Amino acid sequence: MNGRLRAVWPPVIIALIFLSAWQLLVVVQDIKPFLLPSPSLILGNFFGDLSLMFNAAIYTGTTAILGLMFGTALGLVLALIAQRFGVVNKLITPLAAGLATVPIIALTPILNNMFSITSRTPKVLITMIIVFFPVFVNVTRGLIQIQPVQLELMRSMNARPMTVLRQLRVPNAIPFFFTALKIAAPLSVIAALVSEYFGGPQQGLGSRIASSAANTAYGRAWAYVVASIITGLIFYLIVLAVERWAAPWTGRARSA
Amino acid sequence: MSVTSPVSTTAVRATGIWKVFNEGQSNEVTALQDIDLTVEAGEFISLIGPSGCGKSTLLRVIADLTHPTKGVAEVAGMSAADARQQQKYGMAFQQAALFDWRTVRRNVELPLELQGWSKSSRAARAMELLEMVQLADFANHRPWELSGGMQQRVAIARSLAVDPPLLLMDEPFGALDEMTRERMQNELLRIRQETGKSVIFVTHSIPEAVYLSDRVVVMSPRPGRITDIIDVNLGSRDEDTREAEAFFAAVTAVREALRGRTSGSAARARVGEV
Repeated sequence: MNGRLRAVWPPVIIALIFLSAWQLLVVVQDIKPFLLPSPSLILGNFFGDLSLMFNAAIYTGTTAILGLMFGTALGLVLALIAQRFGVVNKLITPLAAGLATVPIIALTPILNNMFSITSRTPKVLITMIIVFFPVFVNVTRGLIQIQPVQLELMRSMNARPMTVLRQLRVPNAIPFFFTALKIAAPLSVIAALVSEYFGGPQQGLGSRIASSAANTAYGRAWAYVVASIITGLIFYLIVLAVERWAAPWTGRARSA
Repeated sequence: MSVTSPVSTTAVRATGIWKVFNEGQSNEVTALQDIDLTVEAGEFISLIGPSGCGKSTLLRVIADLTHPTKGVAEVAGMSAADARQQQKYGMAFQQAALFDWRTVRRNVELPLELQGWSKSSRAARAMELLEMVQLADFANHRPWELSGGMQQRVAIARSLAVDPPLLLMDEPFGALDEMTRERMQNELLRIRQETGKSVIFVTHSIPEAVYLSDRVVVMSPRPGRITDIIDVNLGSRDEDTREAEAFFAAVTAVREALRGRTSGSAARARVGEV
């Protein structure tokens, strides 16, 4: 407990010092809110409109979760196929890499036209594409990158390929999977949020940030940014908690 | 002592084994050249030689982990492939190769699980084996919580799980420090005494080979072949054995055989003199 407190306090203190300095700077220099609103203004807006913040976070969070689920499912299925058929791996991996280099911004207006702009579908699709790549790449590696001695051991025990998959490849890939999720989960929130900048329903965090800024409500725009950060953080922490529960051996020194 | 099938008292018979890698290409390597080797039931054999002499390859041919280019390997009176499928051997490697996602006990259970044993019977069997390697207290630990020597004992327990008549060991103590290594050797001899297994043990430590084995098979590289087989008659081993004249004589005989100085018969004669 003592050690834990010691780990928690330094960043908290640094954050407090940083916020105080920020507040002081804005007040002393009389900086206008459209340039830089003070922390007190932002937090005032945040807590003042807590239910708005919450609803916006729920809307964008739902998009992110749907994209995260579909993207993860697609990544897992293709990783299993890539592991099973080396040819497919060689075909998919460059394609997946190509997909990863597609800038989300270039894609959003097109998907908005392809699907109904008023629906959630284009945003979920974009999030899915963003999430797919780290999951696919990491899990494929986890399924393939097995210690040769462990494969020999399985063969010496006359294990069938399905057994090797279930008992060795899949558990081996789990830490890789969580590494991917730790990247993908906060990323899914960003993707869902950014995709809202290109129109559609107005209840999400991205739309709210854009419209608040357009209406010169800078404190509120920043308050939504704070809500976005918290949403991304919650996604990350959930992944961390699930990892600890589902794969307690991850992050430990690997035995030989 | 023998626990092999009554049909045969031969644990392993390798006849005319050749293993050529990259056959027909410019980087062709003859890993094994015309190997003949017979291991009797209950016998402890070491394969020794410098890196690249094919000792691990020979072990893998016997284990049916790789196919010989030519020749036949038989285990327990059947083909190596059948022997592997019927789990007639257990194998241990230089790396313990434990699964981090399983507890120590469940690592030992793995071969039993693959054989379809029931949950309770494989747990009972695993505990029996962990007691044999003196790790019963660590049954519910994770592999990474154990020292290298303990991990290797778990691996040995796992290799014994299905009670195979033969143990194939590929430098299992190679990564351990000298003290742990000697303790593990005594442990292995005790287990072998208790179970009556035949053992083929790959090593590049001369004292280890001599201390453990009934016969030391000396191999040399390029192409990998058996150059000598040295009988070691030290009787039952204990810590004093390591300092006995006969032990040093056998070590010298193996060393000279490895250098290719002395023929097998001469080496055997020298061991016999002491």
